[in-house]
Amino acid sequence: MPKARSHFLILGSLVGLGGLVVLGAVVFFLGNAWFGLPVNAQAPVQPIAFPHTVHAGTEASGGVGIDCTFCHRNVDKGPTATVPSVQQCMFCHSKITGAGSASPTAETEITKLRDASAAGEPVNWIRVHRLPDHVQFVHDVHITYLMANPGKIVNVTPVINPDGTADAGQTCSTCHGDVAKMAAVQQVRALKMGDCVDCHRQNNAYTDCAACHY
Amino acid sequence: MVSTPRERKWQMVVDMDRCTGCQACVVACQVENNIPINSESHYQQGRAMQWIRIERYWEGEFPNVKARFIPFLCQQCNNAPCEPVCPVFATYHNNEGLNVQVYNRCVGTRFCANNCPYHARSFNFWEPVWPEAMRNQLNPDVTVRSRGIMEKCTFCIQRIRRAELDAKREGREVRDGDFQPACAQACPTSALVFGDSKDPASRVNEAAKSSRRFRLREELGTEPNVIYLSKVDPEARGAAGHA
Amino acid sequence: MKTSRRKFLQWSGIGALGAVVFSGCGIPEKELLVQSPALIPEDLVSGLEAWYATSCGQCAVGEGIIVRVIEGRAIKIEGNPDHPISRGKSSAQCQAGLQALYNPQRLAAPMKLRGARGSGDYEEISWEAALSEVAELLKGQAPASVVLLTEPLRGSLGMVARTFMEAYGGQHLGYEALEQTTLRVALKQVFGADQLPDFDIDHADFVLSFGSDFLSSWLSPVRFNRGYGEFRQGGNTRGALVQVESRFSMTAANADRWVYVRPGREGEVALSVAYVLLAEHSERLDPAAANILTRGRGAAALEAFRPEAVAASTGVSEEQIKELAKALAEHQRPLVIGGGSAGAGTNGLSNLEAIYALDSLLGVLGKSGGVLFSPGAPVDGLPAAPKVGSFADWQALADRMRGGGVKVALVHGANPVYGLPADLGFGDALGRAEVVVSFSSFMDETTALADYILPDHVYLEAWGDDIPEPGPGYQVVTFQQPVVKPLVNTAAFADSLLGLARRIGGKVDQAFPKTWATMKDVLRDTARKLQAQGRGSVQAASFDAFWNTVLQRGGWWDVNRKGATPGLSPIRLPASPVEPQFAGPGAGGFYLVPFASHSLGDGKGANLPWLQATPDPVTTATWQTWVEINSRPAEAMGIKVGDELEISSPRGVLRALAYPHPGVSPEVVCIPTGQGHTHYGDYEVGPDLYRIRVARDRGANVLSVVAPSQVDGTGALAWASTRVSVRKTGAFYRLPRLEGPVFADFRAVEEHVPLSTA
Repeated sequence: MPKARSHFLILGSLVGLGGLVVLGAVVFFLGNAWFGLPVNAQAPVQPIAFPHTVHAGTEASGGVGIDCTFCHRNVDKGPTATVPSVQQCMFCHSKITGAGSASPTAETEITKLRDASAAGEPVNWIRVHRLPDHVQFVHDVHITYLMANPGKIVNVTPVINPDGTADAGQTCSTCHGDVAKMAAVQQVRALKMGDCVDCHRQNNAYTDCAACHY
Repeated sequence: MVSTPRERKWQMVVDMDRCTGCQACVVACQVENNIPINSESHYQQGRAMQWIRIERYWEGEFPNVKARFIPFLCQQCNNAPCEPVCPVFATYHNNEGLNVQVYNRCVGTRFCANNCPYHARSFNFWEPVWPEAMRNQLNPDVTVRSRGIMEKCTFCIQRIRRAELDAKREGREVRDGDFQPACAQACPTSALVFGDSKDPASRVNEAAKSSRRFRLREELGTEPNVIYLSKVDPEARGAAGHA
Repeated sequence: MKTSRRKFLQWSGIGALGAVVFSGCGIPEKELLVQSPALIPEDLVSGLEAWYATSCGQCAVGEGIIVRVIEGRAIKIEGNPDHPISRGKSSAQCQAGLQALYNPQRLAAPMKLRGARGSGDYEEISWEAALSEVAELLKGQAPASVVLLTEPLRGSLGMVARTFMEAYGGQHLGYEALEQTTLRVALKQVFGADQLPDFDIDHADFVLSFGSDFLSSWLSPVRFNRGYGEFRQGGNTRGALVQVESRFSMTAANADRWVYVRPGREGEVALSVAYVLLAEHSERLDPAAANILTRGRGAAALEAFRPEAVAASTGVSEEQIKELAKALAEHQRPLVIGGGSAGAGTNGLSNLEAIYALDSLLGVLGKSGGVLFSPGAPVDGLPAAPKVGSFADWQALADRMRGGGVKVALVHGANPVYGLPADLGFGDALGRAEVVVSFSSFMDETTALADYILPDHVYLEAWGDDIPEPGPGYQVVTFQQPVVKPLVNTAAFADSLLGLARRIGGKVDQAFPKTWATMKDVLRDTARKLQAQGRGSVQAASFDAFWNTVLQRGGWWDVNRKGATPGLSPIRLPASPVEPQFAGPGAGGFYLVPFASHSLGDGKGANLPWLQATPDPVTTATWQTWVEINSRPAEAMGIKVGDELEISSPRGVLRALAYPHPGVSPEVVCIPTGQGHTHYGDYEVGPDLYRIRVARDRGANVLSVVAPSQVDGTGALAWASTRVSVRKTGAFYRLPRLEGPVFADFRAVEEHVPLSTA
């Protein structure tokens, strides 16, 4: 039965070919996931082009030098950093409208915020730093530790208080990079498990799986 | 400085003379731990997911009949039979005496469940689904397990961690009674007592001193950390001594 | 290029596989959303939990609960550790309340019927339109033709509803699904108690319970379970419990001894026990009570109840009765309670009177470990006991409706179309009303007949208060505050009533103080009156401080304001047995003993998947209606677990799954309440391949076979006075239950657990 045999041949080769393509896709995907860049190495486009440079940047670099914890105000009190409420933005932006700013986009962007506030609507940002669901991360204890051990802060040179500690706002760069220099925030550190565990080992912190996974 | 928490050993005492089989612990656990809703098929196929369940068994026949209730949960064994059989080290013992299940490591071989003499482990045979509105209830402290993952009682580790963090924020150690697992907190008869057995003053230590104390399938050498206090029955028929 | 069908399929298969591989690995878009809310309170630390005290609306007790709220979402319910009833404890029902809040089937806005009644074709209208239209309707009616049907209401809401209906002039009828009318009448007759008293199980050393499944569903299970734990292992001596009941209930399962009694014969056993007490242990009894109850004749007055005389009719042996009497006499703090099936025969009232007379005889009234009486409301005008209509009242109402005497029916928190015996035809009768207005939060059998739906908040979104019944023996007011914002466009029932009153105007409007715009104002008024008393757990100089503390603690109570112990009751014990009457087949039939489902209760819990999936303690069955039948008759009839049975009474037929077990008497079959809904719980849950409807068309309603007999002297439904015949239909459905072959080996382990006397 040569006809049937050739059919089997064609079928076999097609299945083999298909299998190869799938295998390749899987290998590519896993490799990409394993070695790839952090999730948001490119800054996502946000609904309002919020410049951290202006808000958190030093006065020397053209910013106003607001401390991180002024807006992310509960980051040193609880697990999540929290983005500020629209109302909180309006503390300043009810006065600062961006009119006459050197930046050509300032007024249009601030208007978006003021419109949201007037309508009582939230602003839907795109998350930049995201840990998977099976990781429980708590901000405040990490910040407390870094405040007591400013030597461990990386990515920026922290301002050290006379008693040898640093303020909460000085610690953020360790994981988030120098946000004050980012016009649009992007992820700088892998924030994968190896990254966490390395740091925990270096600092003699708990490395039990159940410290973060539950 | 970062300090590894004081050495602990979490234990639970289950007083079967108080337990009425009322299922409050079962539902409390479902609510706390984002356990999927057990549909009819879960029960019909023997795949119901309950981290704590109440087994009922019969003694005698009408009119001299007794029904007994025993709450079963992960016994957090010191020599846990589930641990050595996991090919990916997804289940292991930590220094708090907990038998930990790491969801992100689990590949779903189910060897551990086969090896557990207490049937304490549940496998996610299906992707858990909730009606959209009910997802609002999910506990943000607990991972929602996807299909193909083994899960079991954690002694409400999320509550342990919360209590530790709260203690840390206040600059103190975790105190006895700072928290309870969901089952113990709900239990209306106070049949479940939870605490750190390394703390000599803890309520769990006190309760575990009872003369009614035994552990399930102790003869297997699993060294469970759940201690049972036997039911008292003045009219027990043919009650033999515990081997 | 020509593509063959085979190639096309191959490529599409690969494409689909790729899509699956890659879509499974992306991050869902919604998880990348992070919101700047328009407004958040400054002190709200995101990710930290907040706990709010409020009152539980899952059952009728009025327990205090605390709710864990994270970022505006209610995540977990626990008992309020401060509250006198719950003391930090909770039940499966309390826990499951969150699924009522987040129920997919909630009625999301006011609605008006567009199609035919019962078609389910509604249009959304605004609250303004809804209230105005209903107010116009009420204005145009003769007040006597308007009825308000509610759940039993106490506290401020009870006051608002009562004021509204008294000013308007219509009838207000309370609907208690698990009717306690007979119990209330008996307690009134025997003790003169207007409120249900507390039974201090905690401190008793011997409890004799007739028919009351107090650990599972009777009155206040959380409170009784809490007491039971202390009763067993809280003190130096372990309390002993004997359950005399015709069903092997959860309480019977936990008792040291279960005594099977034929349905309706509980009173005879109680009187026989009284006879033995009077004859052999009179030194242990309260002489004054014994004198009054027997008209001075002592044991001779109960000659007809000698143990040997009642053994045959009751099914309880002479020795058993004597032992019970001996145990009551020998213990220091005995307690006798009764209810449930003991009060649900046609002779239920005389049964309960006989049972509670034992408490009088033993002299345990007002004593620790005895019967503690409730002191009434701390604030004048606040109802402490609900007004509840008996089954007879509902029958009369149905007749009035059929005669066209009811034009408008307002319904809140009650589902009589489901919960009254099918034989009464309440649905048909309600259909005769010109307009039905429902204030329900969910679509149910009664709301399905509504012309207007003005949906109420779920209790976690609403203001309120409650006076727990049974209370702890002293004055308690539980406060209820919203712990989350209303999720959908609903309005509190009290607010709707106040809104209607304003729009109706005239004397209805004038009946309410001008300051009462919403329920919160009513509640603040109640709080002001409490503050003015200057006593109890919360006292403060300023009202704001009082108000905040009361809300924080979840209520107000005064342990010093106890209920007065009544004087001796003038009732007399009967001279001869009062025979129970049964409808249905005699020989070859079974006594039908319906019972309140442990998790679903009267059926209100049936729309919550957590409760549907909670195993029944005795049978471990879930999601279905089952029939408990003794293993031996079942074997003789060839019945196995899961066989469909047809249960027929003269009043109807139902089909349910068999669950034979060794713990039920061969004379009875037992069927739980709660299932058999036709509209309630109409949504699906479960894994994709096995999606099931939560409550609609699930199981059977046992009330479809219950004969509508009344308890003599109270008008309550005698729900345990039906006899049925049982037939196997041949159909089979695997009964979803927890127990199974995989777990069977544990029995062997447990059999050599020491069962020594501690």
